Amino acid sequence: MREWSGFSYIVTNLARFVRPREITFSGVNSALPMLACLVAKQAYDFDFTYINVAGGVDPRPSKVPISSSDPVLAEGSRSIFSNEDFYDLCTRGQMDLCYLGAAQVDGLGRTNVSVIGDWHAPKVRLPGGGGGAVMLPTAKRAVTWRTEHSIRTLVETLDFITASGGMHGVVTPIAVFMKREGRLVLSSWHPAASLDEVRARTGFAFEADGAEPTAPPTEAEAAALSKLDADGDFERDAAIKLR
Amino acid sequence: MASHSSKIIPLTELAALVADGSSLALGGSFLHRGPFALVRELIRQGRKDLEVVKQSPGYDIDILCRAGALARARAGIVAMEGNFGLAPWYRKAVERGEIRLEEHACATLTAGLRASAFGVPFMPCGGIHGSDLPGLNGWKQIEDPYGTGESVYAIPKITPDFAVIMANEVSEEGDVRVYGTSHWDRIMSRSAKRVLVVAEKLAPSTSFREQPELTMIPHFLVEAISVVENGAWPGSCWPHYEVDYPAVEAYMKDGPAVLKQHLDSAPEAREAAHA
Repeated sequence: MREWSGFSYIVTNLARFVRPREITFSGVNSALPMLACLVAKQAYDFDFTYINVAGGVDPRPSKVPISSSDPVLAEGSRSIFSNEDFYDLCTRGQMDLCYLGAAQVDGLGRTNVSVIGDWHAPKVRLPGGGGGAVMLPTAKRAVTWRTEHSIRTLVETLDFITASGGMHGVVTPIAVFMKREGRLVLSSWHPAASLDEVRARTGFAFEADGAEPTAPPTEAEAAALSKLDADGDFERDAAIKLR
Repeated sequence: MASHSSKIIPLTELAALVADGSSLALGGSFLHRGPFALVRELIRQGRKDLEVVKQSPGYDIDILCRAGALARARAGIVAMEGNFGLAPWYRKAVERGEIRLEEHACATLTAGLRASAFGVPFMPCGGIHGSDLPGLNGWKQIEDPYGTGESVYAIPKITPDFAVIMANEVSEEGDVRVYGTSHWDRIMSRSAKRVLVVAEKLAPSTSFREQPELTMIPHFLVEAISVVENGAWPGSCWPHYEVDYPAVEAYMKDGPAVLKQHLDSAPEAREAAHA
């Protein structure tokens, strides 16, 4: 059976949120979702429209860039669908799935990407508002990821509510959460972890009815990711640890 | 045929148009197609108290903070990107209270610029409900006056003193062409009081007449242009060149001489040294 690494776990489980015939978006500072969209294009036997922050619409990039906003992501694109376009698409309710970054996530799937500590006297100034405040409440589904699964990142109380509206999904190196009746519930966990471990390392309370170990990567998923990251550079740069 | 006046001027003169305290909407996004040669020239000329208005600044806002040239920022998401993470000198400047930040979502900043471009005092913006940002910034919620019961946030007008755009090609008269995504350059050019341009290349005026649909900004909106080869360095300018990652890595090092070394190794500085 194929085994997960923290890296393949996040990328592949992000890809599994992509659905047929939908419009899916990846943005800035989002190398893992960018890879997830490219994996989905190769691994899944259905059509969907992949748009990205470089203006790409189903692009055919000649390589996978380090920067997820690199103009190479519009190579072979059938259109340039620029920033104002995809934000407007989202606010008018036509964005099916978008990937949005987060520093902290709470049990309602709200996010903080602004600050650790008090906004006016920050301990750590984070990147800031970005897409979330507008896209999280207006996209049909939004999904986020954290490379660190801990009580610092999955919190009971956010230091600042940058974006509300609730994530449809959250992927970490050891777990996949999905929203049910307005709260995040555990959907599955990394087979090398356990339900107890996920609970111990999560700051918010959650239900886990029906949760089970995550199904291993399919042959197509594994093949797509190893082709996209042939030299292992992305996996090395991401440096994702289970613990 | 009537003679025309050229809008092409040297980079030093372009930077001299920007007074201390100006607000600058800088084109591009993160490390991609930003007017970085002009940003560096402002630092060389000792400009102070500037404001950056940009949805996704990174290197540009960071180097302005590092040089002590920035006083204020209106920004959506700030990062170096491409494995470099947070913008460290920007982060320190905010944490120490050295610059005043107005935190936006990218789309709220765009809404403010749209208000200016459309000639109205504010612009409704979708989303934002449930976020702490409106409370922070004093954004007002208004109910649909046509009775749908829907309410939206009204973002006040943002009118930068300058939009500074990094172009792929310009005509001598000031027409501006970019390749690939336009990022937010178009709305910046319509919302700012004055438009300045750094251009990679000069192209024949006839080429603009042959394909006018490729012109993002017509000449009459543009005040002045400098042609600077590799002007977006260390960022990319598609399709001419990609990000110079070793140069960004060298910039990210801490140390008293790093900023000067970086400024001195920039293409426009080397060009000036050989002129």
